[in-house]
Amino acid sequence: MRPFLTRRRGEGPWPWLAAGSVALSLSMLAGLLLLLAVGGLGHFWPAEVSEVTPREGAPFAGIPVREERVVGSERRERLYFTGNLDLDGERWRWIPLDAIAALEAPPELVVLERRRWGDFLGHLVALEDGGRRHAGAAAWPALEERLATLETLRDERDHLRDAVVAPLVRRLEQGGDPAAAAELARANARIRELQTAMQGATLVLESVDGRRLEQPLAEVLRAWRPNAMSPPQKLAAWGRGVWRFLSEGPRAANSAGGVWPAIFGTVMMVLLMSVVVTPFGVLAGIYLNEVARQGPFTRLVRIGVRNLAGVPSIVYGVFGLGVFVHGIGGSLDAWFFADSLPSPTFGTGGLLWASLTLALLTLPVVIVATEEGLARVPEHQREGALALGATRMEMLTRVVLPMTVPAMLTGLILAVARAAGEVAPLMLVGVAKLAPQVPVDGEFPFLHLERKFMHLGYHIYDTAFHGDDVQAAMPLVYATALLLVLVILVLNLTAIFLRHHLRARHGVASRA
Amino acid sequence: MTDPRQLRRRRLRDRLATLLITAGGVGVVVSVLAIGVFLAWEVVPLFLGEGALAPAELWQPQPVEGYAEPQHRWRPEPLVAGDAVHYGMAPLAWGTLKAALWALLFAVPLALGAAIHSALYMPRRLRARLKPTLELMEALPGVVIGFVAGLVLAPWVERHLAGALALVVTLPLGAVAAGGLRALLPAFLRARLSPGWAGLWLAPWLLLVGSLTLWLAPALEAGLPGGDLRGWLEATWGLDVASRNALIVGLAMGFAVIPGIYALAEDALSGVPASLGEGALALGATRWQTLWRVVLPAAGPGIFSAVMIGAGRAVGETMIVLMASGNTALMSLSPLEGLRSLSATIAIELPEAAVGATHYRLLFLAALLLFAFTFLVNTLAEVVRTRLRRRYRRLEGSA
Amino acid sequence: MRIGKGVTRRGRVLLLGMILALAAARLPADEVVGTLDAVGSDTLAGLMLRWGERLAERHPGVRLQLQASGSASAPAALTAGTTLLGPMSRPMSAAEREAFVARHGYPPVELEIARDALAVIVHRHNPLETLSRRELDAIFSESRRCGAERPIERWSQLGVTLPGDRIVLHGRNVASGTHDLFRLRALCGGSYRVRLNEHPGSAAVVAAVAAEPSAIGFAGLNHLTAGVKALRRRDAGGEAAAPTPAAVRDGSYSLSRSLYLYVHLPPGGTLPAPERAFLELVFSPAGQAVVEAQGFVTLAPARLAEQRAWLAALPTAE
Repeated sequence: MRPFLTRRRGEGPWPWLAAGSVALSLSMLAGLLLLLAVGGLGHFWPAEVSEVTPREGAPFAGIPVREERVVGSERRERLYFTGNLDLDGERWRWIPLDAIAALEAPPELVVLERRRWGDFLGHLVALEDGGRRHAGAAAWPALEERLATLETLRDERDHLRDAVVAPLVRRLEQGGDPAAAAELARANARIRELQTAMQGATLVLESVDGRRLEQPLAEVLRAWRPNAMSPPQKLAAWGRGVWRFLSEGPRAANSAGGVWPAIFGTVMMVLLMSVVVTPFGVLAGIYLNEVARQGPFTRLVRIGVRNLAGVPSIVYGVFGLGVFVHGIGGSLDAWFFADSLPSPTFGTGGLLWASLTLALLTLPVVIVATEEGLARVPEHQREGALALGATRMEMLTRVVLPMTVPAMLTGLILAVARAAGEVAPLMLVGVAKLAPQVPVDGEFPFLHLERKFMHLGYHIYDTAFHGDDVQAAMPLVYATALLLVLVILVLNLTAIFLRHHLRARHGVASRA
Repeated sequence: MTDPRQLRRRRLRDRLATLLITAGGVGVVVSVLAIGVFLAWEVVPLFLGEGALAPAELWQPQPVEGYAEPQHRWRPEPLVAGDAVHYGMAPLAWGTLKAALWALLFAVPLALGAAIHSALYMPRRLRARLKPTLELMEALPGVVIGFVAGLVLAPWVERHLAGALALVVTLPLGAVAAGGLRALLPAFLRARLSPGWAGLWLAPWLLLVGSLTLWLAPALEAGLPGGDLRGWLEATWGLDVASRNALIVGLAMGFAVIPGIYALAEDALSGVPASLGEGALALGATRWQTLWRVVLPAAGPGIFSAVMIGAGRAVGETMIVLMASGNTALMSLSPLEGLRSLSATIAIELPEAAVGATHYRLLFLAALLLFAFTFLVNTLAEVVRTRLRRRYRRLEGSA
Repeated sequence: MRIGKGVTRRGRVLLLGMILALAAARLPADEVVGTLDAVGSDTLAGLMLRWGERLAERHPGVRLQLQASGSASAPAALTAGTTLLGPMSRPMSAAEREAFVARHGYPPVELEIARDALAVIVHRHNPLETLSRRELDAIFSESRRCGAERPIERWSQLGVTLPGDRIVLHGRNVASGTHDLFRLRALCGGSYRVRLNEHPGSAAVVAAVAAEPSAIGFAGLNHLTAGVKALRRRDAGGEAAAPTPAAVRDGSYSLSRSLYLYVHLPPGGTLPAPERAFLELVFSPAGQAVVEAQGFVTLAPARLAEQRAWLAALPTAE
């Protein structure tokens, strides 16, 4: 009945309302994605630092964040990120626009990222290094050079600690091994040596209003002068920032640093879940479509399975908590880990239970996709195989299943996309705010199923709601949300593509 | 020639594999269906034996300190031993339904409008692109939508309440006005702006209308008696405005359920046998009259099941309500007041509840309620859909 | 050679270099090595982890394994003997203490490691500066156990003019220590109003209050941002106590609490070296600097000196 070539007489306002709802839905989707992209990616751009001179009081250096209207008046005010928590006891400052006397962007303003007290914004006066003093123009190049050295020292120390000392300590704890003790002493001595090499240098800093600060260089992670950077330099710094976000662990109670452990935890959980859900989902799909006698019972079961896809995820979480964590986990603890009770081993949330819960949650997705795939296989293919003397199993494994693989894959990808975005059930069965140990390491049995893990979705919730400084954490929340959405979009696009491809292929097959 | 021994072995293998598949399949199906049974099992001790709860304690107002009248209260944990505890679950169930209701009020018109537009007016190629795009919208995780709703949208609406409420009126008017204006355009421009592509070219227009509304809203607000929308709402309508309110939740959750409703409704509409519509059109009805009188009644059950499935999703959604609602256990229907849902309560309180205690079991009861509700709603939708499919087949056969 | 076993190539090269450089090194007497377990509060998780990092800098062979699943998990683990250190954001209850004594015959050692406070916050443009306990109770509770006669629901009742006028309440959810502490100290143990927005985290409370001019809320001191203003408490004499570090430290600001570390230590017994090193760090100036940088309040000098002296008097293990 569509499309119409001729325009008919007036149809009233309704068609336009219908069209408007498409436009509105699409605009909302685009707006949300745009918001996440701007909020998330903008954070890594080295923003210009202004030197603000208020009409009254001392000047300060700050990065403008946003503007708002002052309550009960027409004036506007601007929020500045001013850093210098140790000097001011505060990292933010609101100032009405009409209270600003002058705004400048002097190129020599530095921003230091520090391990304690957050960022410093101000002037670099001198670098004092074991009696030598680089002051004035010489200070900045000296600082850059020293920071590069520091980074290599820090890397070496971290590597020693993780790859040498930690295994030795475990060996020592398992039994007095004299050789290990001597090795450990040597490694420790080297670490101390590295640490001494890191110490010593001090920065003399000065805030814009002239307060001096002695900053041990070892606490400084990075330094940059945003006002003096050219756009390509800024772009490079942006790229490094994005990379650090993806590759580093969180710092400062999740309100700084990166999300690497959360990415790792999400991927591990989803992998484990796929390992569980695929065989069971496929088995159930084959059973329902190929083995079971078709009748009212299978129809009922099919409706049941379909409906389970609509059961709220939190209900699966409750089920996981009751059955897996307290039921099975509690019993496992009583049988195998009785010596560490009442501290639970498996009787508390962990990677294994989270994966199983999500496997259950996504099972209907895989079953339904498998069934759809099987239903698409033309009946004559089956009949042909049977007529040539194949048993039913041979018909299934040699003819039908190979044709259904893309459908199963689509189902699995959709399941993974769903699981990667689910947070509510994880809150009950094993996600952690901060898991210092990833679930995989060099310690036997290498994969620690009982450990808690970090998850991108939960990281968003936790950072936004439980962080120390919500204002400081917002850009990271945006960035994490963007990352999660991108991952899920890519997974879904893959599934859509596969399905499309599959339809095209089967279209040909069934016509043949 | 096949060796009979080999044949026997193959047969045996076949039977074994069938057995395995059957065992696996039945096992999966049974264990999946066991969820409800397990939840019920955990809940039963609440109402049996010593210290059993009376259902009235859960669902009826109880005497509360500081009030003469009995009240609904959810205070499951005593602060010190001997403190009064209240297990009134009615506000939580109410909040769940309220959130779903406002989400549906927002989502159903948009989703149905989109479904109608794409089934009736859109060129096939565009429709093939629109469907996956809206599917992507469904895939957006609840935690991201909840974060945006709770920490970005709610403060924004708080500052621009008048503008936000005005948008509800001006956006639909804007869409209609676009239709009227288009009729006035010269023919060559009108041809460019075809109704089939209106879903795309209306977007910038609506954006313009929206910005204009927001720009003008403060002036409109100043025109109210008192010059303050909140004060006016409270004085005239007795409405109390909370920043974390059902409107925000409805908007965010509506966003999440639009695609689901759209997909099913679109299926139902485009599944209506073409012969039906063509008959009406041939008799001189407009497309919209055809839709209203012929296609919609035929697809009605399908649309009903689409809405049901949307309701199921909205009732169970956790993170959006948790992050955007403010979790106030109120019993009001006002869109500008807060709410608290069963799912959010489970998510916050279950990790801290003592295993086996009354609080713990009550949260299991909440889960059981959610399970039962969504299962019923979805089954209903599925049954209706199956019937509908059969009816279409019959209609097509007779045509 | 055993050294390179299980170590990457880069590590092997490094080790070789070290052996050449430090051929004669041995494990010195003050070398502390081992894994340190702690089970308890999640409020204290950040603080404990930072201390763990500092400790690893001093003693590279020490590792902290923290299980932060809530204060209630600490007494259970201490009683069971699976850990020696139990960080808690509240004092141990009588029942928990009794369970420990019943199992071991002596009570656990209670150490105060930091102070924390709740601040009552309003939007930064709210002209209100102080609130009395009775007013606070009348604003937040429906039971009014602190003695207020009428509920306070509007800003005009406090003499403040704000758009909207109605007071919007923000706070924490049930099952959080903040919720309980505020209920106990500010509401005289009464119950919250139903209209309280119960947020699942302190940061969310601060964000909500910062965005809403007619809002009031309460949150941990370490969560405050420039968007909100902490109110001072007015007592009967009209004196106002602000949540300054000094007032929190000596308890004159009543919405404050101590954060504890419980140690399983038999009377006259010794602590293993890693645990001892950890405690030494906690009470050292460097350790207290971590407290400050994390947004908590450091202990009073007298209290600190007392606990340091206790630690120094412990017999050393050999």
